[in-house]
Amino acid sequence: MHPTIRLVNRNLTISLNPGFLVWQVIFPIVYIFVAGFAYTSLIKSVPFGNENLDYPAFIASGMIGFNIMNSTLVSGIIIWNDRRHGMFEQILVGPFTRTNYILSNVYTIAIVGLISAALITLIGYPLFFESVEFNLFTIPFMVFASITGSILFGSIASIISTRLKSSEGFNVIINTVFLFFAFVSTAFYPAQGAPEPLATAFYLNPLTYLVDIIRAGIFGTFTEFVMLEMLVLVGLAAALFVVAIKLLTKLDL
Amino acid sequence: MSSVVARSLSKSYGSVAAVNGIDLDVKKGHIFGFLGPNGAGKSTTMKLLTTLIPPTSGTIEILGINAIKHPLEVRKRIGVVIQQPSYEPSLSVEKSLEKYGMMWNIDKKTRKDKADELIAVFDLQEIRKRKNEDLSIGQRRRVQVAREFMHEMDLLFLDEPTVGLDPSARRGLLDFLKNKAKTGLAIFYTTHVLTEAEYLCDDIAVINKGKILAVDTPDQLKSTFGQEKTIKIHLLYKHDKLAGLLSGVADCSIDFNTGTDIIIQSGKSELVLSKILQILIENNITIEDLSAMPTTLEEIFLKMVKDTNAPNN
Repeated sequence: MHPTIRLVNRNLTISLNPGFLVWQVIFPIVYIFVAGFAYTSLIKSVPFGNENLDYPAFIASGMIGFNIMNSTLVSGIIIWNDRRHGMFEQILVGPFTRTNYILSNVYTIAIVGLISAALITLIGYPLFFESVEFNLFTIPFMVFASITGSILFGSIASIISTRLKSSEGFNVIINTVFLFFAFVSTAFYPAQGAPEPLATAFYLNPLTYLVDIIRAGIFGTFTEFVMLEMLVLVGLAAALFVVAIKLLTKLDL
Repeated sequence: MSSVVARSLSKSYGSVAAVNGIDLDVKKGHIFGFLGPNGAGKSTTMKLLTTLIPPTSGTIEILGINAIKHPLEVRKRIGVVIQQPSYEPSLSVEKSLEKYGMMWNIDKKTRKDKADELIAVFDLQEIRKRKNEDLSIGQRRRVQVAREFMHEMDLLFLDEPTVGLDPSARRGLLDFLKNKAKTGLAIFYTTHVLTEAEYLCDDIAVINKGKILAVDTPDQLKSTFGQEKTIKIHLLYKHDKLAGLLSGVADCSIDFNTGTDIIIQSGKSELVLSKILQILIENNITIEDLSAMPTTLEEIFLKMVKDTNAPNN
């Protein structure tokens, strides 16, 4: 077995513990089914492209991107734990290179992100199946966006984990950053109708692009703007990935 | 055949030379002790030899492979127990052994058998299902050392592996390592516990301030550097004039301690002792107890480090 695959195996074993899986499933379910239906009386429908979606369908599709982002925290946690518990050094005195280690994290992020996206798609499907317009173009597009989004958020988590040593610092920073991403985005509410500064802030947030692309994939509402969002997402993911790789390569032993 | 050959090995951080032109030879099947005080350059040397960091200058050959050009090839054939605890907090002892075997590409059946064997050898039966995060420091260290034997290797680096171990676990580990060396495994062993080095090692190097002070067998080190002996005399009563009486004895240093205990250090211990005994008898001073301490590796080590730390060094 290739060294990188062996490290992916190890990463998945240490990450996919029952607590993480419960968090990955329960958290979005609460948002989809509790917030989704509770807000129905306030939000009758949400305009998205040419469609008018009911709020549970809107939030369920938003939760896919949200969950991809959350799941890629795994990457930061693995790196941070490896440094804290001596496994980073232990791995690098074993039959592995830094490239193996970095790639194993990328693959782990992609796998966890895709599984997470698929899981929430399954859970949310009953809520948006009436408006769904999957086709041969949208599914690969959504998979590509999910992987790109995973790499983007995984890179952010990795960058934070390489810069911080204390557990308090790591937890505070990562939670603050990801809280901003989660709530200043179109995952929970549309940009249209939001106050201008907030709507602008939404588009300074990569989660907005990821969520918009996934929604466009589910509801078949591809526009030029969504294509532009895809380009921004890919560009941002590539830039952050390069920074993360550089920092990981230079990480002191 | 040598398992480790390092020549003129140096590592500098800015203007600070952590390792300064050292030469090392570790023979196959030998246990090589690497001693030195904190900050002497032990861990940096370990990192250089295990290919974690590149040297500033010098050459390193591990198991016949150029370690600077082919670090991965070296790492495939060595085992390393790093000084820092290393563990997967969420895995059980059993699972962490098994996963470590998987990381080394050991097949499933072999790693199961190997894990069972190591659990027995390292007395981990009672904690095999317990998570690493719930173990004591000593238990975690035992698992860390045991884990390294999940894979085959030709050379093992151990950086203070007995830290946190109780005396019986410590002795068990040392005996286990001795037996492994008999099968041809070369071991590079750093420690602060000099009795351990004396018990375990075939060769010992002492390092301080990045330089090797001496390399030899423990016995040879004692005979070369251990001329000075310590003599302890316990008197029945305190004598106020004793310091004056013994002030004329040459070639020794005398510590009068409490007044009834005299500690004498000398490189000519037999001659000095006979002179002191003669003076004590002539002055009717009663000796209650007398002992001459054999030179220990610890005394040699302390003396070497003290000498190199002296201002003119």
